[in-house]
Amino acid sequence: MKKLTIIFRRAPHGTPHGREALDLALLSASFEQEVSLIFVDEGVLNLVKMQHPELVGAKDFIATFGALPLYDVDTVLACKTSLLEYGLDKAELTMKLTQVSPAEITQHLADADEVLVF
Amino acid sequence: MSNFIIQVNGAANTGSASYTAYRFTKASLEQGHQISLVFFYQDGVLNTSSFNSPASDEFDLTKAWIELNHQYQIKLVNCVSASLRRGVISKMEADECQAKHWNMQSPFEMGGLGELVTGIERADRLVSF
Amino acid sequence: MILHHIQTSPAQDNALATCLRYIDKQDTVLLSGNAVNALLLNTWQHELAQRRIFILEEDVKARGLTERLSQFNFINYEQFVQETLHHDKVISW
Repeated sequence: MKKLTIIFRRAPHGTPHGREALDLALLSASFEQEVSLIFVDEGVLNLVKMQHPELVGAKDFIATFGALPLYDVDTVLACKTSLLEYGLDKAELTMKLTQVSPAEITQHLADADEVLVF
Repeated sequence: MSNFIIQVNGAANTGSASYTAYRFTKASLEQGHQISLVFFYQDGVLNTSSFNSPASDEFDLTKAWIELNHQYQIKLVNCVSASLRRGVISKMEADECQAKHWNMQSPFEMGGLGELVTGIERADRLVSF
Repeated sequence: MILHHIQTSPAQDNALATCLRYIDKQDTVLLSGNAVNALLLNTWQHELAQRRIFILEEDVKARGLTERLSQFNFINYEQFVQETLHHDKVISW
């Protein structure tokens, strides 16, 4: 078992990065890896509620984030600074997560075995 | 000597990441390291299309991966769902959807993300491009 | 100790900026591809001034930037491979 950290740094729907990151996260968790997710930079826009990706021909993978607890992915972090930049620091978000400082993210990256950025 | 797993996320011929991945893989092998798997994910699957047809005076990355496989027998595996989404299919998928053409064949193989994950678990180091 | 690998120009992509927000003091930055262009700009030279940085030699030569970037540490592919093993892990942003 390895500690895999998956970083979402890009906004959803413009590119398939977020969707393919989530595919990998769920698959890794089902293969008994210790998976954690971190939302940083524009990637925090994955956390906005009431998205309708089908209107722009994209798959609604945002709904699939709801499956994370079923896969025992309990560590979901979002960068406080990024949330603040995008005006989401006080917003209700799509999933239960922990807001952390950049320094805490630095520490988390140091503790992981491998980090995959999308 | 160490055991690497290489993840290629960038397309061939339209970005530099895949070429860097190829050169890194080659340099590792030349130094005697093992490459347990080269896994093509995201736009990286476009490295494996045999329809890639660069002009004769241009570097042919798809051919270069094949030559690396011939020389070192490295495994070259595509994520099947990322591939299908981008129009890269093998004979098996072509047969399934009654398509007359396919553009991915040996030494490239179709696989799942599970191969990437088990590969990461076993490797000393993951390097993504 | 992490080797942070940046492959895209900061004029096109936020990879370098994001990496620098989360990088640790003792970590290293490796610039390849168009990411090497970052070092031509004062802003990024300044941001990276206190850091251990490597730039991939062939990418610098290919772009005709060898003299302009001569004050930085060039590495070849062989050294790139070695550095991935000298560090605990590689993060490609």
